[in-house]
Order: sequence, then C-alpha cells, then structure tokens
Amino acid sequence: MTLEEKERLMSLSIEEKVAQSKKVIKEAIEKFGTEKLAIAWTGGKDSTTMTWLFKEACKELKAPMPKCMFIDEGDVFDEIWDVVNLLKKEWNLNERNRAEITNLGFDGKEFPLEPESYVGNHLMKTVAMNDFLENHGIQSLSTAIRWDEQTARKEETYFSPRSNPPHTRIQPILHFKERDIWNAIHKYKIPFCALYKSGYRSLGARCTTFKNSDIPAWEQDMENTTERAGRGQGKEEIMGKLRDLGYM
Amino acid sequence: MFGKLFKKAKNKVIVLGIDGVPYSLLVRFINEGIMPNLSGIVKNGTFSAMTASIPEVSSTSWSTFMTGVNPGKHGIYGFMELQKDSYKWYFPNSSDIKSETLWDIAGKNNRKSIVLNLPSTYPARQLNGILTAGFVALDLRKATYPESAYEYLKGIDYRMDVDTQKAKESSSALSEDIDRAFAIRRKAILHFLDSHEWDLFIGVITETDRLHHYLWNALEDKSHSEHNFFVDFYKRLDSFIGEMYKRAGDDIPFIIVSDHGFTTIKKEVYLNWWLREKGYLQFKKDPPESFEDMLGDSKVFALDPARFYIHLKDKYQQGCVEGREYEAMRQRLKEDLVLLEVDGEKVVKSVFLKEELYSGGYYNDAPDLLALPYPGYDLKGAVNKTSLTGRGFLTGGHTRDNAVFFINRNIKEKDINIVDVGPTIISLLGVEHKNFDGRCLV
Repeated sequence: MTLEEKERLMSLSIEEKVAQSKKVIKEAIEKFGTEKLAIAWTGGKDSTTMTWLFKEACKELKAPMPKCMFIDEGDVFDEIWDVVNLLKKEWNLNERNRAEITNLGFDGKEFPLEPESYVGNHLMKTVAMNDFLENHGIQSLSTAIRWDEQTARKEETYFSPRSNPPHTRIQPILHFKERDIWNAIHKYKIPFCALYKSGYRSLGARCTTFKNSDIPAWEQDMENTTERAGRGQGKEEIMGKLRDLGYM
Repeated sequence: MFGKLFKKAKNKVIVLGIDGVPYSLLVRFINEGIMPNLSGIVKNGTFSAMTASIPEVSSTSWSTFMTGVNPGKHGIYGFMELQKDSYKWYFPNSSDIKSETLWDIAGKNNRKSIVLNLPSTYPARQLNGILTAGFVALDLRKATYPESAYEYLKGIDYRMDVDTQKAKESSSALSEDIDRAFAIRRKAILHFLDSHEWDLFIGVITETDRLHHYLWNALEDKSHSEHNFFVDFYKRLDSFIGEMYKRAGDDIPFIIVSDHGFTTIKKEVYLNWWLREKGYLQFKKDPPESFEDMLGDSKVFALDPARFYIHLKDKYQQGCVEGREYEAMRQRLKEDLVLLEVDGEKVVKSVFLKEELYSGGYYNDAPDLLALPYPGYDLKGAVNKTSLTGRGFLTGGHTRDNAVFFINRNIKEKDINIVDVGPTIISLLGVEHKNFDGRCLV
C-alpha cells in the first residue's frame, strides 16, 4: 500500500472508516471462515471497538461471531474485568482465560514477573496466545493495532502473514487514529473501560500502567501527547540511575 | 531582538534552578572572582542561604518547590517507596504528585509556562506551555510536551542527563560528559527563553549536582586532575547566569534556587545494618537482596536517605507492630538514633517525628521518623550492606541547610525555606492562589 493510500484512509470520516474496517473484516471471514478466525481482545478501547466492528459485520453477513481470545496475564485491572464480563454476557462472546504461565515449563531461575517486561511479555502473553492458536487450529487472528500508535507500526497492512505458528494477522482498524476510536465509541455507544474516564489513555498490566492525566482520555490533547506515556515504569532503568547517584 | 517577547515585563518570572548548589560555595566563588556576573547580579536583590525539604533529596525538595506545599500534601517523600503488600520497590513519578504545580495554577489563569529539566516531572503531563522533564526521565518523547518541543530537542541531540556511567571510565571522561550535557542544556534553555512565549520560565541545571556527587573532592584538592575543571565549570555557569539575567534585566523578577546544599562525605552510614544490630530488623538471607527478604517480625526499616518506617500490623502485609506499641517504638528508636556513634563521634544531629514535619491528605504515607546527620555522615538506606559504615564512589553528599535563594528584589523575610519559593512566584505572576503552605516573600 502506498503512503498516499494510507494517508487517504487515515483522513476518512468516521462512517467511512467503519465501512472500511467492515470491508476488511468481511474479506477475512470469507477467506478464513468464522471457525478458524479469532479476535484478540484486551478489554482496551481499540480491541473493544474492533470487536464491536466484528459484531456488526457478522450481523450483516448473518455469520456467527468468531472466538474472542482474552489473555489473563495475572495482573489485570479490576475495571478491565468489569468491561470484559459485561460484554461477554451482552455480546455473547466466547473467551479463553489463559492464565497458565505455570504450565509452560519455564525453568529459568527468575524473571521479572511483569507482563510488560521483555521475558514477562513473551511468557505471559505470546506463549499463551500461540498455545491458543495451536490448540484451536486458528488460521487468522484479528488484532487492534493502529498506524498512528507508533512509528514501528507504520509499515503494517490489513492482512499480514506470520510464521510460528503459521497464521494470518488481520488488522482491520489500522486507519483509525486515537481520536477516531473515541469518536466511534461515543457515536456508536460502544461500552468502554471506566479507567479511561479517570485519565488513563492506554491500558497495560495493572502494576506498570499509570494515568496520563486526571481528565478523561478523550478530552486530553491527543495530538501533542503520547498515548502510551503511562505504560511501563522501566524499573530496572530507574534503579540503575538512582544507584549511580548513591541511592538504593 | 528580545523587544517583542520581553516588552511586558510585568507579571513574568524567570527561575533558574541549580541542583545541589550550596549558598556558601557561590559566596566563595564570588569572593574569589570566579563568578563576576553573579557578583554583579546579587548586589541588586536578596541573596541568601535557604533550607531545603526533609528529606533533603531532589525529588522531595523540587516537588515542594513546584507545589508550594509540604510533602504531606504533595505526597513525594523520596525517590523510592516500598509497596505495602509486596515489599517491592515503587518509584513515584509526576503522576504521583498530588498537589497542583505552579504551571497548573498559572495555566488555569491563562498564563503560559515553560519548564525545562525540573526533576520529578516525568512523564510530562499536559500543560499550558512547554515542559521537558528532568531526573529521573527515561524517554525524551515521554518526557516532553508538546510534540513540537520534542521534535526540536531531538533535532539538537538534547541530553536528559549526564551519563554517570562515564565515572567508571575515568574522572576526565565524566567531566567531559558533564560539559557536553551542560552545553546542550544551556542551548535548549536559551532557545526556549528567546523564541517562545511564556509568563513563567523555569530552567534547571542538574550538571552541578552530578559534578558535586562525583568530584566534590576535586574542589579543595588542587592536585586533583579535575580541580581546574570544577572551577572552570563554575565560570561557565556564571557566564550562563549572566546570559539569562540579560533577558530578565531588573524588570522581570529573576530567581535563582537550589534544592539542597552539599558537603564532603567522610563516611556513609548504613541505617538498615544499624537497625539489624539493634535488633529492629531481620532478614531471611544474608546479605539480603531487597526488602522482599525481610522477616515478618521486623519492627523498623529505613529507606534512603534517612526515612524510618515502623512495620505496623495495620499498614503492611506482614507487619508486626501493634498500634498501641507505636509511640513507644518511635521513642526508643529516637533515643537509640541520637546515641549512634562512628569513630567516637555523634552521627545524628536531629530526629523528627512525622507530625513535626508533615500535614495533609498524604500524611499517612509519611515516614514515621526522619533523621538529619552531622556534616560528613551520609545516611543510607541500602539493604545489602554488612557493616555500619563504608565508603562509596561518591565524594559529596546532600545537606538540608545551605541551599541557595536569590531574587532581584529586596525582601525582609528571614529563614527562607524552599516551600516559600512557589507562593512567591505565583504572587509575582499576579495570580491569586490560596492553600499554599509557604509564604510569599515579596
């Protein structure tokens, strides 16, 4: 896809963006069917919006909803559980609770038990996800990444083949900006986690996520501040710097 | 060239923060002719020693500066806290400051602020103006608001801090790096001062603190390889102060403030080892690696620099001290601390109970007891030490007294504390604000 095409997609209206995402989702369902497709759902604003788009697209296709995969890495916000439990019931979603880090046979001496540290992220999220893909014969997984999140994501496309395990990533909301997500959530009355109202912009594990501000996420200056500023404390790095000045 | 931006001198304020600079050192360098600009500037105004916060660390002291309230209200008691359930470390950051900052208050009154390199402002929060955070800042993008300021700083290869790892290479590698960091800081501060609109401008130099920690011994020792560097650094600081003052003139209030003083470290004193010897504290492992190794029947533990916490049953997951034992425990600890001696000398100059220092909504999080040392003893909360005293790699340590305050106005108030600086700034901006703990000095 050319840069111009990406820019065109990112400047569409909300209605057009919703239609574009549904087009990608319908194409994915036609290609993989709903049995072999799963939705990666974190309870955050982006993946909840994506799940809502799937629900709408499936209604239009008269197709059943694909499975939703929710990974419990062991340190999930209570407020995330609230929105997950609400939507499981209201939208009739299947979910797999994969808190099985202890079953993975990891025998290293120790690693930081933080879902957002490098090892922690792999063991608590990636391995759990791969396990899920393999056990359920999933051929395609839909994830809610966006082009505007970080520079590293600018190269992503709607369909992206992956190996280990082999599957296709479907990325139907790439063209949404952070502000579009909030516009869609408010316009279409999509439920969202209460933490955003109290100032969180991006939700990770409880122990490493902090508020960006005290005002609701959608009222913050999204264009000039970093969405993920509240994620990850970088404890090791902070400790190193403090030690250099004689502390700890 | 400054005409347009500087014509309305009324209700503007410039603050230059100089981290860890003692009043007495500036007086000495003025007398020795090393700081001619400062010498001229301090003739027109009030130049004075100031007391810092307790504890006398940058995070607490600058948080007190930026809120004008005591730590019982702003909630920052140090660089690290222990989580009450897991005994893991927690590092407070800008989102843990519970009171409004000077730029929050200014912003509500439609006044613009530029805040550069002030410690304890990471990650950057939204404000009416520009901010790039100081120590401990990890990522420039997260440290900076708005995006356009980040783009500028990235473009000039801005440095958030001195690379203190250079000290492991050599003293000269460190001093070169201090110089580089200072040069880029000076460039960034002057850029924002000259080319952006502001009502409140706060620029902080932290290279002074790094220089003092690592090379304080070079000041007195003329044979030290970095002695000349130390003195030359202050000459460069002086010329920078001169450049900033040129922009303020006598019209715009110009404040120079430091967050603590500095002194020579004779010995580091390891408080947790002392608590172990006195039977207040026990660990499962020897040497312990962290407070996660602390045994449940421990009664007291200490965090940097000299914050003592009673291991209360109601407060901590494995706490063992009953509420009714609390007062007696603090009294016993206070009496023991006063008697603490190293090489036949008393170490602890004063001990404070939390209620003597703090009040406010976050009073419960305060340390139960705090100590200040006699000069030369650096009180440490390290967990893993197995002796009462030792020498670290730092030669200079903080003092609560002898921080510096200057304003190009004549003021009568005496006994200035860092909590007074914020209210003074807000008043000079022409903004009314209640709920400060400090006094307006002008």
